[in-house]
Amino acid sequence: MKRRLPAALAVAAAAVALAFLVLPIAAIFLRVPPGELLHQLTTPVVTDALIVSAKTSAIAQVLIVLFGTPLAYLLASRRFRGHGLLVTLVELPLVLPPAVAGLGLLALFGRAGLLGTSIPFTQTAVVLAVAFVASPLYIRTAIAAFEAVDPNLVAASRTLGAGPVRTFFRVVLPLARGGLAAGEALAFARGLGEFGATIMFAGSLQGVTQTLPLAIYEAFAIDFDTALALGALLVVVSALLLVVLKLVLSWQPSRRTSSFLFARSS
Amino acid sequence: MKLALAAVLGAVVVSGAAAQSVADRATVYAAASLTDAFPTIAPNARFSFGGSNALAAQIRQGAPVDVFASANMKIPFGLYGDNFCSRPAVFTRNALVLIVPRKNRAHIRSVFDLRRKGIKLVVADKGVPVGDYTLQVLQKLKLTGVLRNVVSRETDVREVLAKVALDEGDAGFVYATDAKTVPKKVRVITIPPRGRPTIEYGICVVLASHNKPAAQAFVRRILGPAGQRILRRYGFLPRRP
Repeated sequence: MKRRLPAALAVAAAAVALAFLVLPIAAIFLRVPPGELLHQLTTPVVTDALIVSAKTSAIAQVLIVLFGTPLAYLLASRRFRGHGLLVTLVELPLVLPPAVAGLGLLALFGRAGLLGTSIPFTQTAVVLAVAFVASPLYIRTAIAAFEAVDPNLVAASRTLGAGPVRTFFRVVLPLARGGLAAGEALAFARGLGEFGATIMFAGSLQGVTQTLPLAIYEAFAIDFDTALALGALLVVVSALLLVVLKLVLSWQPSRRTSSFLFARSS
Repeated sequence: MKLALAAVLGAVVVSGAAAQSVADRATVYAAASLTDAFPTIAPNARFSFGGSNALAAQIRQGAPVDVFASANMKIPFGLYGDNFCSRPAVFTRNALVLIVPRKNRAHIRSVFDLRRKGIKLVVADKGVPVGDYTLQVLQKLKLTGVLRNVVSRETDVREVLAKVALDEGDAGFVYATDAKTVPKKVRVITIPPRGRPTIEYGICVVLASHNKPAAQAFVRRILGPAGQRILRRYGFLPRRP
């Protein structure tokens, strides 16, 4: 009896935690009948938001990988004075409130900002906002992935005559790609949900800068059903992303480098 | 005599203080344009300012607030019709103006200049009171074509104000009272009389309120001479034209 009580309490607490995480999401689907949900998904507000989100996310993620990977590799493979400071600076946007990110982007790229560009209110602004808040997730995961690559393998590759570029693409990248994919998926998910920086820096205009989260916020004040439909759409997209990520991780030989990010489903 | 006067004064002060403390216990959802005026009228009440439509959406979801003050009559009458609040009363009026950044790099001198190509016009979304008034103005002046110059649709009037005051937008429609809060950053361009919409603000007691006495005291304060005087000081117009 005495032994069973703690176990029962643990199960009860676990049930509460599980219900707390699952029920709000389930409620989105229960509030609106599936037919109505599908109908809402064909309205221009929803399709426009989906297109804007898909397009800006795709561009932002390509930029993140293109510019983030070299930065992550350098930070992982070199040690120099100020290394820790640099890593912290890279991680800073991660912990910043998105509203602060929006202010920063305006202060730099705004028409009256340091660079004085005409980027605000354009799709480019959405891409920059997404890239700014999401790239640290990719970069810090990528640093961990590169650091986990066995230096002996890199040394062996060099000894056998491969140059640094060849070694990077043939040895380091294949070994780290599980971690890189995990980081990229995290960054994608974070970017897809971006709200605060976007609404401040890019504004909100249907078909141009209004992403799914912005459309949800706007729809909430006008038509709750549309908001729910948009919410359901984001849940589905995010869930798919998570599943793909888990599949990618379980297929990779180097999953050790990144498996701490998610519990395996199997 | 002195004693009697002191007693009367004391009673006035005490009753004033009592009224103050009751109204100050209210939780109030109010239109973003009231951000500066309302806390002056009831410094210790709790406020949430935002687009009237967003606030109404929260009240419909059961937000336990005491008072709702909207920048139009349509939204509170909608809540009243669906049994979410008492019958709304007009408590003030406002005017719509066009604002441009102090720099005015787009050289906008009248609403008709908004027709020029490439102007970055910031407006509020439809459903947001100021967004609906904006649309009315443009319809009355046969200027709905300028909507193609819209670069952002904001969720409340202060967001429109911020984007123009920051000099990111070339022009925006806000209330005269909002423009007054940042005189150094924006210039006001008046709208021709035939384009001006009627802008009435409505206040009501939310039926889900847990503190009706505080709600009623707050509404009385807003409708009373002290509240009206402060609203006028911030540039709001008297309840009746």
